[in-house]
Amino acid sequence: MKKYLGSIVSLTVICLAVSVLLAAANGITAPVIEKAEGEKANAALLAVMPEGKDFQEIDVSAYTLPTSVTGAYSEAGGGHVLRLATTGYAAGLTIMCGVDKNGKITGAACISSGETLGYEKTYGERFAGLAAEEAALVATVAGATKTTTAYKKAVADAINAATILSGGSADIRTEEEILRDNLAAALPAGESFAKEFMAEELQGVSAVYKAENGAGYVFVLGESFIGIDAGGNVVSEADKETQAAAKAAFTSHTSTVLSEIELSAYAGISPRVEKAYRTASGNYVFELSAAGYGINGEYGASGKYIRIKVSATAGGKIIDCVTLEQHETENVGSACADPKYYEQYRGKTAETLGEVDTIAGATYTHRGYSVAVSKVFEAIEILKGAKR
Amino acid sequence: MKKETNLSVFLRGLLIENPVFVLVLGTCPTLATTASVVGALAMGLAAAAVLVCSNVAISLLRNLIPSAVRIPCYIVIIAGFVTLVQMLMHAYLPALYELLGIYLALITVNCIILGRAEMFAGKNGVLRSALDGAGMGLGFTLALLAMACVREIFGGGTFWGLEIPFISNYKIEFLTKAPGGFLVFGLLIAAVNAITKCRAIKKKDFGCETCPSAGACAAKPCPAADENLTTKVGMTEKEEKENGNG
Amino acid sequence: METVKNLIFILMSSVLVNNYVLSRFLGICPFLGVSKKLPQAAGMGVSVIFVMFLATLATYPLQHFVLARFGLEYLQTIVFILVIAALVQFVEMLLKKYIPSLHKNLGVYLPLITTNCAVLGVTINNITDGYTFPEAVVSSLGCGLGFLLAMVLFSGVRERIENCDAPECFKGLPVTLVAASIVSLAFFGFTGLAENLFA
Repeated sequence: MKKYLGSIVSLTVICLAVSVLLAAANGITAPVIEKAEGEKANAALLAVMPEGKDFQEIDVSAYTLPTSVTGAYSEAGGGHVLRLATTGYAAGLTIMCGVDKNGKITGAACISSGETLGYEKTYGERFAGLAAEEAALVATVAGATKTTTAYKKAVADAINAATILSGGSADIRTEEEILRDNLAAALPAGESFAKEFMAEELQGVSAVYKAENGAGYVFVLGESFIGIDAGGNVVSEADKETQAAAKAAFTSHTSTVLSEIELSAYAGISPRVEKAYRTASGNYVFELSAAGYGINGEYGASGKYIRIKVSATAGGKIIDCVTLEQHETENVGSACADPKYYEQYRGKTAETLGEVDTIAGATYTHRGYSVAVSKVFEAIEILKGAKR
Repeated sequence: MKKETNLSVFLRGLLIENPVFVLVLGTCPTLATTASVVGALAMGLAAAAVLVCSNVAISLLRNLIPSAVRIPCYIVIIAGFVTLVQMLMHAYLPALYELLGIYLALITVNCIILGRAEMFAGKNGVLRSALDGAGMGLGFTLALLAMACVREIFGGGTFWGLEIPFISNYKIEFLTKAPGGFLVFGLLIAAVNAITKCRAIKKKDFGCETCPSAGACAAKPCPAADENLTTKVGMTEKEEKENGNG
Repeated sequence: METVKNLIFILMSSVLVNNYVLSRFLGICPFLGVSKKLPQAAGMGVSVIFVMFLATLATYPLQHFVLARFGLEYLQTIVFILVIAALVQFVEMLLKKYIPSLHKNLGVYLPLITTNCAVLGVTINNITDGYTFPEAVVSSLGCGLGFLLAMVLFSGVRERIENCDAPECFKGLPVTLVAASIVSLAFFGFTGLAENLFA
């Protein structure tokens, strides 16, 4: 028993001695550690708000904020720093944005990204010192349009979020919600709108929506949404010129007649062109198959194709482009079915086709897509030549 | 005479009884922290510091600790020094602290440290224990560096984080990942075997001598031990006793 | 439902993707030392699951209700290793007294487990990863199962290696490590599995 007691006592003494020593060491190191940790967290915040003091984290789940906001900090001077993650076509940027109490941006910085372009690193600097309206006017970078557009949207979200956190209210509808509301306002009788493919060139029109219940169409001209009912009457408020343009577009769009061209009658048309039609006004509509990245991971080697519909003028300018079908990798090449990608082809000619932004991480998909679209210009030349 | 023995106590750990390549102790950090040279050096020096300190402390206290509870006492002392190193690194070298992560705390259960405490420091004087700790610690660090050099240079195409021109175009990235760790370790041990042939203690397999709990389970048949190894353990212990007396 | 998903996610990732032995290098000593024969490997694996589970049950409340409450987080390593050592001793005594048959099979492995870094690793990881109590328990079970899986698989490989004709300098440990590398490579294939489980 005595032996056991000795063992227990000595073990206890050693434990206590070690604990006391560690407590002393902790007393020395703990403040240093705390300071270093605090500085590290502050450094990221200070980078976008150099004047900031006493940052406090805010529980974002307690507020209704734009969905891109993943974190928020308040600052002693009434400002806020927001952490945002971009979504959609250019997903994967994490952006810190500081907004002062007057709603001015104190700084924006991208702290992580899956991009390799490099624009996202310095683009934030352009926003420093701007208010919301000015920030909206910052130019996107050619060749990195989607990245910089997503960046701009994140900054806009940050300003909205800061307004809400300061007790104000802001428009935090998503792009889809805004579109839906605009369409409903333009054509109140319409329900469940679907985007239409534009076979004919419609002057000034950037998009056409058809109401699935047959109530009519909505034409987007610049910023205005013009509703036209099934009988051809304009139901939205607009100036005369816009009304006339919308009406002309309505007539042209609803009277479109496609006559199929027998492709086998023409030699030299790329096999990528599957079907071709001529419209009443002499434009062309093509259905194409493009080689995607595919199942073998080799460019063009797979049996899976992307199907594309393209309309173009006889002069060789693309009117509209839409992806009908694709089998690309989910969340990567599948971006070729995103309107933000394929609508880039609008207005392009054989010379300017190269300006279309690639899809991040799916270069092969983009290349296959572009190659297929480029066949349209060849086909038009052949069809025109034979006609003469 | 005695000076020479002290020197050999120190040198032993560097090569002939290198804890990693010859005794095959402390395999976990050897594999886990050697993807980069910086991490390997940090881990090696941290473990060496703990080893020297714990060897000295245990050697000082060796006559006060009852043998029945010596293992728990050793563990407490070692864990204390590990925590101390953790605190100091967290405070003054935060980047390395994050790089090593959980493996820093796991120095506590590194077999080398408990093994040296049990086999050497508990039986020898302060100076010799310190030398033994320093030698073993340095041997451990050198072994980690050797592993890390191979893995970082050929696997990452970098050294100390700096890109190496030609090699970085032909890097074998798999070496920096988990399977690469096992492979490089195996190849290096084979290389050491081939170079030293019969001069070093030829360590062919794992057994009780590498296991710091050997003392605790001596009464039971150790599952990993076969006859050869048991006799070997007896021999090394005897040798060490003689060294200690001499 | 979300919690259950999360628990399954933790279980799968700790068994397959972040296997403690084959991708995080914890518990290598017993992995190489006791994997020569299948029964021993399985015995060791089962004992480790048991001890990991108990250790988590003991250390998690200790951390949150004692250490964190009194600002003693810096004693974490010491307290955890002592708890594990005491737990192992206690379990061994209990088994010896009440279930001698089980003790006969598992008893020999228990002392070896005290210094198994996988056990200390699980208890510390459960805290640093900020798991809730159910998550911590599931993670400890997952890590233990992963350890058992690695042990059993590797013992099969080991039995083949024993009979192979390796070059002299590769005999013994080196060839075993090369084999471990290949088994680890196989587990590499599980990368991304857990993340996409519910995608």
